[in-house]
Amino acid sequence: MKTSLQNSVRNGVVFGVVIVFLALIGFLVIAASLLQKMVGNPVGLTSMPSAASLLVFLGFLHLWNGWRVSHNKEDIDTNVPLKTRILRGLTAGVTTGLFLLVYALVVGTINERGVDMRVYLSMLSSQSIDFFLFNQSPLVGGLIQFGFSAAAAVVGAVLAKFADSGKDKVKSIQKAAVAWSDKSWLGKVKTNPYVSYVLIGVVLLLLVLVPRQWGAYWNYIMGTVGIYVLLGLGLNIIVGLSGQLVLGYVAFFAIGAYSFALVTAPDPHNLQFNFWIALVIAVLVSALSGVLIGLPILRLRGDYLAIVTLGFGEIIRILLKSDWLKDFTLGPRGLRNIAGPTLFGREFIGDIDFMYLIILAVLLALFIARRVQDSTVGRAWLAISQDETVAQATGVDTYKYKLLALAIGAAFAGLGGALFASRNQFTGPEDHVLMVSINVLCLVIVGGMGSIPGVVLGAFALKGLPEILRELESYRLLVFGALLVVMMILRPEGLWPAKRPNLEVKQPPPEPETDTRPAAIGGGS
Amino acid sequence: MEGTKRKRSLTLPQNKSGLFRLIAAVVVFALLFWRVGAVATVSQFGADTWLRLAVSGLILGGMYALIAIGYTLVYGILFMINFAHGEVMMIGAFGGYFVFEAFNAIPVTSADGTTLSLLNSYPILAVFLAFLVGMSIAALAGFLLEKIAYRPLRGAPRLVPLISAIGASIFLQNAGQLLFGPQRREYINPDLLTRGTGWEIPIGESSVMLTYTGVFSLVLSAILMIGLFVLVQRTKLGKAMRAVAQDKSTAALMGVDVDKVISQTFVISGLLAGAAGVMWGIHNQLINYFTGFLPGIKAFTAAVLGGIGNIPGAMIGGLFLGIVESVGPAALGIDFQLKDVIAFSILILVLIFRPSGILGEALAEEKV
Repeated sequence: MKTSLQNSVRNGVVFGVVIVFLALIGFLVIAASLLQKMVGNPVGLTSMPSAASLLVFLGFLHLWNGWRVSHNKEDIDTNVPLKTRILRGLTAGVTTGLFLLVYALVVGTINERGVDMRVYLSMLSSQSIDFFLFNQSPLVGGLIQFGFSAAAAVVGAVLAKFADSGKDKVKSIQKAAVAWSDKSWLGKVKTNPYVSYVLIGVVLLLLVLVPRQWGAYWNYIMGTVGIYVLLGLGLNIIVGLSGQLVLGYVAFFAIGAYSFALVTAPDPHNLQFNFWIALVIAVLVSALSGVLIGLPILRLRGDYLAIVTLGFGEIIRILLKSDWLKDFTLGPRGLRNIAGPTLFGREFIGDIDFMYLIILAVLLALFIARRVQDSTVGRAWLAISQDETVAQATGVDTYKYKLLALAIGAAFAGLGGALFASRNQFTGPEDHVLMVSINVLCLVIVGGMGSIPGVVLGAFALKGLPEILRELESYRLLVFGALLVVMMILRPEGLWPAKRPNLEVKQPPPEPETDTRPAAIGGGS
Repeated sequence: MEGTKRKRSLTLPQNKSGLFRLIAAVVVFALLFWRVGAVATVSQFGADTWLRLAVSGLILGGMYALIAIGYTLVYGILFMINFAHGEVMMIGAFGGYFVFEAFNAIPVTSADGTTLSLLNSYPILAVFLAFLVGMSIAALAGFLLEKIAYRPLRGAPRLVPLISAIGASIFLQNAGQLLFGPQRREYINPDLLTRGTGWEIPIGESSVMLTYTGVFSLVLSAILMIGLFVLVQRTKLGKAMRAVAQDKSTAALMGVDVDKVISQTFVISGLLAGAAGVMWGIHNQLINYFTGFLPGIKAFTAAVLGGIGNIPGAMIGGLFLGIVESVGPAALGIDFQLKDVIAFSILILVLIFRPSGILGEALAEEKV
């Protein structure tokens, strides 16, 4: 009893801190306005969203708070009495509410004195404080928050009671449904090889048709997603397949973009190569740079490799920006007027043409990644990523295969970089900051290390979704960071885990039924 | 393949990769000497400039050393790079900043009728409180970081906690940006520690200034480092930390609470990083959410340079890196823009040629 109340208080503290943090970074306002937008009542530029939407958003959090404490791990029996649940929910809700009350009193009082909090905390405008207090005085606003928190947490706790009692029923129904569909139609569809051909055909058809329909804005966003799929596939080979954590992946992206730009742009060298030749050059130069950078550093393992590659990424960026290479790369100004592609004399100008180009590149990359993964090389990488020492002992030339992984990954990045530079007709040092590496790493990890569909899914989730939810732009990286930590704790294998390591490592084949006792030591006594 | 424990002798390495490394080392050092020699003969700088650069490098190095100790302590115990350590320093810097701001905002009228801010009426108290608050907040951040992001991952494959650390670093950086805004903020020092004032040391015709802020930082970092050394070598906690670093399971058998010791290690490294953060603000004036990132990586370089897991090594590595970074661009005759390149290049060269660092902590194969 006592421990369960302690647990509730702890949970309440966590929720209180999180909600105060969300208020401090201005997320409550954004979340409320997003909710309002979903309902179809977008908020004007200068005005604040309605109090109801704030209550709905906070209500979710409070319900969750109560839900979590209502039934915890220590209860072996799911049948916790309602009274206990209400008490727990109330404890958690009151704890959270106290945090909100104190926050409201402190911030509200300072605000009433006319101090502009934004000098210190940039998101805390006077307007947003009033919004948090429902335009009441600090005490009244704080008490509303307090009461709402306690009430909603109790409701959450009660709801959890019903959910728990209904859980077994839902589970059995779900099981029956799955069994039924497996028997009646899904099982047949799954085993039929033609289904996958039809599916691939439909996807290809969509890829051809859709870019014509959805306009320049969507083509731009999906083009970016496509380029990140390319980058993700490349990094997936390095990190996911061969197991080498590389944090300076942006270096290869930058090398690809710059080598493409330098041979096509009129300034500073005026080489003006053909697009396709330049593309090949960019890919080759990136792959070569992968080999050259990899030669000295691939001997290092794990975290050392991560830091060294991060150093390389930064060195490349600083050099591109520096005055020292200004005559060669034009320094911080960047390169302009980078050529677009031409095919049989026709210039690719429109966004649709470029979208097709990116789709083609992605399909090619998917094909290569898939084939490489299933080849001898892929097997060698798998061995290296599982245990390098053992791989070496069994005769895998680890150094060679790691170099190969880095070279192929770098080539993908070079292709992505060249396409990126060509599409934007510009590339500069600020396109190649560390955050690009981090973004790509995030999408590979969130999607599932070593999993090709995971990369695609990750790119859409991490690059596509934020583009759609423009309001959340400034919170994107914050969420990425939190997501990395949470993924590592809860689901390190990613959203769409790779199949093979599971098959080969997590489920070892059953031990053969042989007699393993030492046979007759000492010569058959 | 060669093991890391193999004695280094002057005989030619037997295998190809060793030979390659030897040749590469010779080439790198030949280039370095040629470059330094070329610049030194031209000698556009006098002795005073060199001394000035060395002094500013030493001050910077003191801060690097404090942060580097945090990396080394954590690496020594958990064998992981606490990637978010630089952000812990940033948090400490903001803690001190707000103390100074608060002191500056309150006016005090003294007996003779002059009105001063609280900051200048009680400067020593203000500085003391700034360090107290900055260090405590950073220690709290370190403690929570371990508890939330690293503890659940104890015993996971080695990439997993590193990725979690990277995530925590990104999270803290962006939380800092959202909370305090992207702009740089100016540390308001008490008049006692006005930047740009100090003791003039005459060197020939010109002179070198030892700024008060610099001397203060250097002395304070020396005191903290000595304190840490005493703590690790003489106290029970230090003994426990050393035991856990050597062998976790045996230490646990001997009655050491391993989880608690790890927590305390994070608190100690947070304290030192927080102090470095406040010093950074006092000496370098401007801070923002990104303040911790580069010093963090450079301090890691310093820790590797000195031999990671080795506390005196981290101190020496920090001071060395600070000086090299400050003097290096002038000595090599390259642009000061490229000083970060020097730090990163040192990191890469050390890791390639001597991963065990200057003082050579024995990095057994299982630790690397």
